[in-house]
Amino acid sequence: MPPFKAGLLKRKIGSEEPKKTVAKDSSEDEGSDSGESEDLIRGDLNGADDATDSEQEAEGAHSDAEQDEVLFDDSADSTFGDEEQAEDASDESSELPDSEADESSEEEDDGDDVGESEQEGEAEDSGEESGIGQTHSGSSDDSEEKLTKQKQKQKKTKEIREKEVKEKRTKQKQVKGAKDSVDILADKIKETSVKTQPVAERDEYESGDTSDEEDRRNTVGNIPMWWYNEYPHVGYDLDGRKIIKPPQRDQIDEFLKKCEDPEFWRTVRDPATGQDVILSKEDLQLIARIRQGQVPNAAHDEYQPWVEWFTREVLATPVRAFPEHKRSFLPSRDQQKHVARIVHALKMGWTKTRRQIAKERRKKKVKQFYNLWGAAEEEQSRGIHKHIPAPKRALPGHAESYNPPPEYLLDKKEMKEWNKLAETPWKRKYTFLPTKHDNLRSVGAYERFIRERFLRCLDLYLAPRAIHMRLTISPEDLVPKLPSPRELQPFPTFEALAFKGHGGLVRSADFDPTGQYAVSGSDDGTVKVWETSTGRCLRTITLGQPVSRVAWTPAAGLSLVAAAVGNRLLLLNPGQDIGTHRVAARTDELLEEPPPSHDVVMDERTTTAVQWEKVKPDEWALGVRVAVTHFKPVIHITWHGRGDYIAVTLQDGASRAVIVHQLSRRRSQLPFSKAKGLVQCALFHPVTPRLFVATQRVVRIYDLVKQELVKKLLTGAQWVSAMAVHPAGDNLLVASYDRKCMWFDLELSSKPYQTLRLHGGAVRSVAFHRRYPLFASAGDDQNIVVSHGMVYNDLLQNPLLVPLKQLRGPEKREDLCVLDIRFHPTQPWLLAAGADATLRLYT
Amino acid sequence: MEQDAAEGQLQVRFVTKQEQYAVPDSPYAIQSNVQSAELNTLVNAILKETDVSSKRVEFDFLVCGELLSSSLTEHLQEKGVSTEETIEIEYLERFPAPAPQDCLMHDDWVSALQTNGNWILSGSYDNSLHIWTTKGQHKLVIPGHTSPIKAVSWVSVSGDQAVFASGSHDQSAMLWVWNIANNSVDCVVTCRGHDKGVECMSVSADASKLATGSWDNNICLWSASLSDEDNAPAKKRSKPDHGNTREPLATLKGHREAVSGVHWMDFNTIVSSGWDHLLKIWDCELNGIKQEIAGNKAFFDVDWSPLSNSMITASADRHVRLYDPRSTESIVKSTFTSHTGWVQSVRWSKTRDTLFLSAGCDGQVKLWETRSPRMPLYDLSGHEDKVLCCDWSNPALLISGSCDNTLRIFKAKNAFGSS
Repeated sequence: MPPFKAGLLKRKIGSEEPKKTVAKDSSEDEGSDSGESEDLIRGDLNGADDATDSEQEAEGAHSDAEQDEVLFDDSADSTFGDEEQAEDASDESSELPDSEADESSEEEDDGDDVGESEQEGEAEDSGEESGIGQTHSGSSDDSEEKLTKQKQKQKKTKEIREKEVKEKRTKQKQVKGAKDSVDILADKIKETSVKTQPVAERDEYESGDTSDEEDRRNTVGNIPMWWYNEYPHVGYDLDGRKIIKPPQRDQIDEFLKKCEDPEFWRTVRDPATGQDVILSKEDLQLIARIRQGQVPNAAHDEYQPWVEWFTREVLATPVRAFPEHKRSFLPSRDQQKHVARIVHALKMGWTKTRRQIAKERRKKKVKQFYNLWGAAEEEQSRGIHKHIPAPKRALPGHAESYNPPPEYLLDKKEMKEWNKLAETPWKRKYTFLPTKHDNLRSVGAYERFIRERFLRCLDLYLAPRAIHMRLTISPEDLVPKLPSPRELQPFPTFEALAFKGHGGLVRSADFDPTGQYAVSGSDDGTVKVWETSTGRCLRTITLGQPVSRVAWTPAAGLSLVAAAVGNRLLLLNPGQDIGTHRVAARTDELLEEPPPSHDVVMDERTTTAVQWEKVKPDEWALGVRVAVTHFKPVIHITWHGRGDYIAVTLQDGASRAVIVHQLSRRRSQLPFSKAKGLVQCALFHPVTPRLFVATQRVVRIYDLVKQELVKKLLTGAQWVSAMAVHPAGDNLLVASYDRKCMWFDLELSSKPYQTLRLHGGAVRSVAFHRRYPLFASAGDDQNIVVSHGMVYNDLLQNPLLVPLKQLRGPEKREDLCVLDIRFHPTQPWLLAAGADATLRLYT
Repeated sequence: MEQDAAEGQLQVRFVTKQEQYAVPDSPYAIQSNVQSAELNTLVNAILKETDVSSKRVEFDFLVCGELLSSSLTEHLQEKGVSTEETIEIEYLERFPAPAPQDCLMHDDWVSALQTNGNWILSGSYDNSLHIWTTKGQHKLVIPGHTSPIKAVSWVSVSGDQAVFASGSHDQSAMLWVWNIANNSVDCVVTCRGHDKGVECMSVSADASKLATGSWDNNICLWSASLSDEDNAPAKKRSKPDHGNTREPLATLKGHREAVSGVHWMDFNTIVSSGWDHLLKIWDCELNGIKQEIAGNKAFFDVDWSPLSNSMITASADRHVRLYDPRSTESIVKSTFTSHTGWVQSVRWSKTRDTLFLSAGCDGQVKLWETRSPRMPLYDLSGHEDKVLCCDWSNPALLISGSCDNTLRIFKAKNAFGSS
């Protein structure tokens, strides 16, 4: 046993000490009781068996309940007498020597115990025997007698004890005899239900009466007993025999009994059995306690000393040594939920402050009227939002009439058609056959009515209606945001002048560095110099052969025009009247005398390709100052920015297609040893010593100093026609015969930054403006497209390309339109060499 | 229709600055959709009431400072003027339509011309100068330049001797003396100082100085006197047949591109126009720039009118612009748009402050009134090619030279203002 429990026990014992003797008594009594009860049960069994036998001995054993019961039937009066006797006996016994019982009770009990145990064995035997046969009935009778004796004895002792208790109590618990029998009965019932078990048990079995009563149980159950008012019996016992009502007593009997019977005041009638029951003192006491609102069991101590198992003081050996559970600190889950609900309601504003509630109440008091003329919005907000009404059915037409106009009735041909479409009725003109009836009465039922209603319903609920939000993407939104051309002025917008004078298509044109003059080369074998501002032809140089290319030298100190005529490259001085006299004269001076040839060393490969000629006097008179003959026709010429070098592209020149001439030393170079394709044109980089070489599909950039390939630009075009370098040198524009223009950002990639498809025909020429962010392209379609091409100094910003204007080009001749375009060096003007033998200046 | 008419009632009052045509200062209710022809009839009728003998006069009507060209309602709508109030209409005698008088044939494009009194001086692309009478009689062909002549100017005509100057693409300007009686011409001075062709020239009002603008971006000032005394170091005469060679008095450098037009504003101020989109006003005493006006196109010509104190310019677009150099907010006063090609030349009237001529590459010469920017007063058509130059030095003659090798003379009838 753990120590604290031992302590506990100790205390309990201490507290119970004053009652020790009583408790001991009771415990002892209980012990005896238990023995009794066992005995009794056995007796019962026996009794049941011996019921018929015991009738004979009835007179002898007056206290036997079974006998009483049986006697009920035969002699009602005698039973009453019996009862009286029994009562008398009990009274007598109670009045019999108290002291003796007190003194000898212990000893007797001990003795009894022994005797009982002996009797038990006998009783068992007798039970068995009785089951077998009636031969040992005498012995069983003996035992029964013994039993009754014991019972009586016990009864006596009990009554004695009750008396003691009664004496201890005060006199106030007396029950008046005037009480109603019903009232008493109710009390009795109450008592039985409330009675604590041990006491009741003892009562039942110690008093012979009650035990008898118990056996004479009525089995009708809890029913209103007045149902049996009409009958002689009041119910049935356990064996199904009728329990006969006791004889009714009249008023006189009652009165006599009242007078005679001293126990009358505590006699009640049991409605279930109709028997009179004399309440014992204990019963009365119990009733009294209940009436006073006290605990019915007198033995119960209401004021037991409080044992403080759990104190706030810290004990050396506490009852519970483990720490408090976590649960004890936390609010319970349920509580938590409750709080959360309140908090949520607060948050959502469901809970209202007192003021709000008052306000609402006030509002309610004010009468609300329905606003008949209010806006429809309110109306809508109550109903379905955005209600889409179901599509209405078409109204019936004339054909559906019962008496349609004759033109709606199907004629033979239509009928034939109708019949033909029997397989595919949905192709018919009508879903019904227009029929003529004499009157509405003769119109038959429409057989498709149900079907059509059904289909209509299907349509309505299987095809949900929804407001279809159309994507409103206007085509303008898809076009990238570009500044409007108006903001990008100036640029050429209309044709200002037409330079007329050539006799054949003009192959090429160029401006002089100041823009005062323009030069053009034509298929009619002439080179013409024009005044830009008026379109006046100032000089015509006839060279005999078609001039494929002209280019004015960029050097300000020279007055030279390079012209490609057949296999020859001619450098012309346009003469005295063009440009500055001094410059023209100096140019002549410079070029008159070729430099000493000894320091010019050219290898064989070059010399076979190029021949620097001595200019003949007649050619000199024309203005030719230098002539170089090549082994193939010259298709393109380009000046280096300083005007000393000129690069020539030869047709089908293979590895020697590009030749660079140095003017000051009259020397030629072949920069490439291997042919990389059909070279279309070559251009000098405006700033660095680089050369752009365009072959059919690729543009290669070579470093002329390091003699290496720097970059290869993949144009993606089928056949490159021309190219132009941005004046800053970082961007290249390539035109192709397949209608495209490719803008290359050399810093960015070897692929085109943008491919411009602005033309309907082959693009033959592209040009950059030297000052303005403009470029233009022109070709075989009759349009010259001028675009804005802004290149930013910021490396992070890509060039901005905006097509600005389509200029109407010169007229078409033999599918050719514009052969060359060139921007004015200072003004935003564009010169186009046209196939119709004119040059056009756009401003 | 009636309703329209009812709505279209307008209260107008006629005023004029020409006293002989004055009418009573009382308001008239007229239809709003009238045009100038109807107004003309009305005014003439009013005039007739006052003076029975008066002849019919054609008037122009100024409403809100602009010449009435459309119907009155439209005009008022454009101007945003309420039709509720009484509208003041100023009328003035219409400038009579110039009549084509003569067509003088040249051998080549006529690039420069000027009249002075009865004489017309023209320069041509065939390097020669021509002198004509206003009657169309060819007086003289003067070869001398070696390149197309781009500018000519009379310096003085006094008695039998006339002095004129010419500038050419051969980088020189020449001063010529023409003896009218002998009909002989002599090149007195050759002005050499430009590196490139002379594009324009102007003689100062006192005929003492000559300004030339050139393709070498410079303006040179030359003495226009015939004698050589102010050229301190007498240069060696390299070309005796062309007389003296003269150095410029001053070279005004400032334009970044070719100088296309130059004009004297007063005795020491020059206005010049250039291909670099700039108009510059130069002070000739200090040889510096007084003012710079930026345009957005290359200028082809400029002219200054002392009568209206404003400039008109021709530039590389279809518009003629009127500049007021003294204005502070918007220097371009108005833009005259009617030409369909470049405008090559503009000239003020010498007598009327609101009229000027313009010659365009579309072959048209137009007579403009500054208060009517949308429509010229008259189109002087007749040229078959680009018109390169025009002149209105003689108030009675409007002449123009063109690429069709002709010089056309229109006669301006004597209007009130020019009398």
